[in-house]
Amino acid sequence: MASVVELKDVSKIIKGRKIIDRLSFNVEEGEVFGFLGPNGAGKTTTIRMIVGLISMSDGDIFICGNSVKKDFEKAVQHVGAIVENPEMYKFLSGYDNLVHYGRMIKGVSKAKIAEVVELVGLTDRINDKVKTYSLGMRQRLGLAQSLLHDPKVLILDEPTNGLDPAGIREIRDHLRMLARDRGMAVIVSSHLLSEMEMMCDRIGIIQQGKLVDVQLVKDFVSNAEKLYELELDRLDDAMNLIAKHLPGLKLTKNESCLEVPVKKEQVPELVKLLAGHDISIFGIREISKTLEDRFLEVTNDKGEL
Amino acid sequence: MLQLLQNEWVKIWKRTATHVMVVLLLLSSIAIGAITKYQEYGLSVPDNENWKQGLELEIKEYQKQLDDGTVDPTSIDYTRQQIAINKYRIEHNISTNVDYSAWDFVSDTTELISFAGLFTIIIAAGIVANEFTWGTVKLLLIRPISRAKILMSKYLTVLLFGICLLLILFVFSIILGGILFGFPDTSTPYLNYHDGTVTEQNMIVHLLISYGLNSISLLMITTMAFMISSVFRNSSLAVGISIFLMFMGSTVTFLLATKFEWAKYILFANTDLSQYFEGAPIVQGMTMTFSIVMLCVYFLIFHLLAFIVFKKRDVAA
Repeated sequence: MASVVELKDVSKIIKGRKIIDRLSFNVEEGEVFGFLGPNGAGKTTTIRMIVGLISMSDGDIFICGNSVKKDFEKAVQHVGAIVENPEMYKFLSGYDNLVHYGRMIKGVSKAKIAEVVELVGLTDRINDKVKTYSLGMRQRLGLAQSLLHDPKVLILDEPTNGLDPAGIREIRDHLRMLARDRGMAVIVSSHLLSEMEMMCDRIGIIQQGKLVDVQLVKDFVSNAEKLYELELDRLDDAMNLIAKHLPGLKLTKNESCLEVPVKKEQVPELVKLLAGHDISIFGIREISKTLEDRFLEVTNDKGEL
Repeated sequence: MLQLLQNEWVKIWKRTATHVMVVLLLLSSIAIGAITKYQEYGLSVPDNENWKQGLELEIKEYQKQLDDGTVDPTSIDYTRQQIAINKYRIEHNISTNVDYSAWDFVSDTTELISFAGLFTIIIAAGIVANEFTWGTVKLLLIRPISRAKILMSKYLTVLLFGICLLLILFVFSIILGGILFGFPDTSTPYLNYHDGTVTEQNMIVHLLISYGLNSISLLMITTMAFMISSVFRNSSLAVGISIFLMFMGSTVTFLLATKFEWAKYILFANTDLSQYFEGAPIVQGMTMTFSIVMLCVYFLIFHLLAFIVFKKRDVAA
């Protein structure tokens, strides 16, 4: 897989304050890259630097090998983007808006516009004024606008902001489809973790302008030891038993359950142990750590450093 | 580039505000026409056989005022001009007994050029600032087109819009004037007074020149509004400052010019180039070349400011 977007030691200093500090990462073809961080961490600033709305203080960004700094026009022709809310000309119809943006790029035909409109499902309303659109429809029009020129990179800043669950789902399906079927690289920013978990292949976590971690979503969630919840009788005996045979585990007891942090391979061993001592097991449940827990964990750890 | 112009053009004309502007412009020229027509009923042209004598009387009266020194210093020029023109009329047998014609009407409606200018300023003030207010600037600037080109297309569109309004006004005035007052059989020349001599000018040429000269100050103020719009991203500010200067600028400059010589470096001392064709310049010793150079300097400064700021700007909000 080839890197479509490459950030190299990108920094941004505004009034002596480092907003973005030596940020480097790559985004590959066909992947959905999530850009995650608390509010004010620098997500939007980074995205705006990628599309050239904000200048870089240091470092450079390459899109398909073209420098955004030196060769803006060449670099940005591969990019389709929605930056924050998709603000359109409200006094124009949806179609006129698309024609307007289409005129700014070479080779956008009428057929292409129709195709894109079809793709985002706006065919019925495309000739209405944007004024009359709902937020979800504007978001879809925004997506249509960004797809007009078949970009290699699609960049969406908080694409699900303010959308209802159906709208969110729609956007998510679109993005996955574009990445999978068309091999586009998609960069999405958000502070909504559950969102990211469902949408992205890889996540970069940014905090205070620094890239804290880049991980595959799969690894990110499952890397850690899992927590199992055992529903048992004779809780206290069980606790002593486990403490004796598997020392060093941090056990927590609540009403009728015992929470044990162990690896998956250790589970059968645990069951044998308990069964061997006549402790009834009513159930074993995996409490999977959500992205949210991991996120807080990661940001807290690094934040304190 | 043409496509960019087309985009901006569409964005201007698809808004109701723009249509209102054109309608207002047409309505006000209709209003002038109606009022003039109404007045015309009262005073039919004096079929005066003795117009020459009338003029001679006038000349004597003016001359007397000049000799007595009772004339206000500011209107000395005007008095001299009247004398010269009257003398010219008598010599060349150009009667004052002419019907009010379409051409006079067009000449009267040149007053409306500043009205058209007002609308052009509003458009110029909004064309960059609005993109920021609407938030559409973000989607506009992420196209593979340099910011300089985008700004350029916007400026050219403003100019086109201004020209378009002037053209509408000019053509409409001619048509309306033709309907209301009719065209004269023989066109009366316009009498131009400059540096003590009177020359004849074809009426249409005269009208075109006065449109052209008026457009220069328009061009400058529009460019200024455009600059403010792109530097401060605030259309109300741009409209406010520009309109204030448009109406007050020349007055203030005129006052300053009576006291200070440096007033000649002020933009508004130079915008009215007709001072070199008719009457006298605002500050003694100013020449046409000087004014043109000053105008070019201001023009360049406005554009440099607009372009540099627009190009460097971080689009953050």
